[in-house]
Amino acid sequence: MEVLNPRSALLSNFEVLELLRDLENDHLARAKTAIRIKKEEEASGATAQPKHSATIEITENVRTIQVEAIQYLTADYQPTSSQSPSGITQLVKDLAGYELTKAEKLQIVNLAPTQPVELYVIVEELEDRLGDSMETVLSTVSASLSATPSQPINPSSPPPVHPMSSSDTMGDLSLQYPSDAFNDGDIVNDMVFDDEGQGVGVEGDLDKEEDDD
Amino acid sequence: MFNLAILKDTVAIHPSNFGLPPEQALIAELNKKYANRVLHDVGLCISVFDLSEVGEGKVRYGDGFLWYKTVFRMVIFRPFTSEVILGKIKSSDENSIRISLGFFDDIYVPAIYLPQPSCFDPNERAHFWIPDSELTKPHELLDTPTANRMYIDTGEVVRIRVEADEFYDDEPGPPKALEGVAAVKELRRAPYSIIASIAEQGLGPVSWWNGAGAEDAEMEEG
Repeated sequence: MEVLNPRSALLSNFEVLELLRDLENDHLARAKTAIRIKKEEEASGATAQPKHSATIEITENVRTIQVEAIQYLTADYQPTSSQSPSGITQLVKDLAGYELTKAEKLQIVNLAPTQPVELYVIVEELEDRLGDSMETVLSTVSASLSATPSQPINPSSPPPVHPMSSSDTMGDLSLQYPSDAFNDGDIVNDMVFDDEGQGVGVEGDLDKEEDDD
Repeated sequence: MFNLAILKDTVAIHPSNFGLPPEQALIAELNKKYANRVLHDVGLCISVFDLSEVGEGKVRYGDGFLWYKTVFRMVIFRPFTSEVILGKIKSSDENSIRISLGFFDDIYVPAIYLPQPSCFDPNERAHFWIPDSELTKPHELLDTPTANRMYIDTGEVVRIRVEADEFYDDEPGPPKALEGVAAVKELRRAPYSIIASIAEQGLGPVSWWNGAGAEDAEMEEG
């Protein structure tokens, strides 16, 4: 194990929140698939499914950090839940004219100060460097915060984690869409059954593995 | 607060996971190893961000695992010095206040980094600050009327500035063969802890500074 670069790039809280939410959505979708498959197997009696299709086991430490970090970032006192990608890009563009260091701009994005005293804490020598433009900076920041908090579950966006899913069970992908509406469960069940029939055999998977190499 | 680190490691995929696309399996294995763990001098690992390079999976003599050499980026929590972050008070004692971020608990504000003058009230089990006061001795401060005291209570949201961070690598020493019975277990120090300050204007409980022209904002503090 080697650390090539301990700090190659800085991330804003919003980016981390998006990443964690995507991962959590994937995990929840997979968990629902697993539960659904289990129920079907029990319902249909002794179906010959000796080998469980490969599922990713998610260990406790991963879930703990994900859940706790999402909780922290979506807290009421944080502005992160009311930020949006376009708002942040706009804010950074607007801040470009003020001679702020990278660290100060990042902190302004993360903390979204709306009061002079907050800005004073972030930017050193505030009066000398910004002087009158303090108010404009604060109003730019408030403009970038949208009124509505961002939606935690995004069922319409396709999951970015599976670019090629040939060998994976199609059930995972197809279930991503109706994750918010269980009404579609009947239709999806059929799809899951169809796909379970293909490519589950051990030989089939090994063949795919060789092709990738 | 968060940054990306580029790490290089060799990951083994168990045959039961060969049905998955390799990236998924690799990311899951890497997360299993690193998530919520502290890397010395790097920070607290949150999650894998993406895979930069992955070599061919190779089989080793003796086991059926596929070994992949990977270079990947990991989201790390490590606030830089003089960064301002928000947290909640977890507990206080005579010498310091402990602050928690939910996923990370070892943030301490030692008494020197509290706004002066301040004191610890043993009855309330909380520190308090008396704005604009000339008193310095603890027993004088404890004599002040409670109405003037700005308490720093547990559970309050505070703004803190990071002053320093410390990594402690807990290496198990050589086994002590002197006494047969198990030796006393030493106190485990946190692998990563942060020292922070709330001494300046604008820092400390958020409620002190909210609202334009709060009376504390006019106090001339360092």
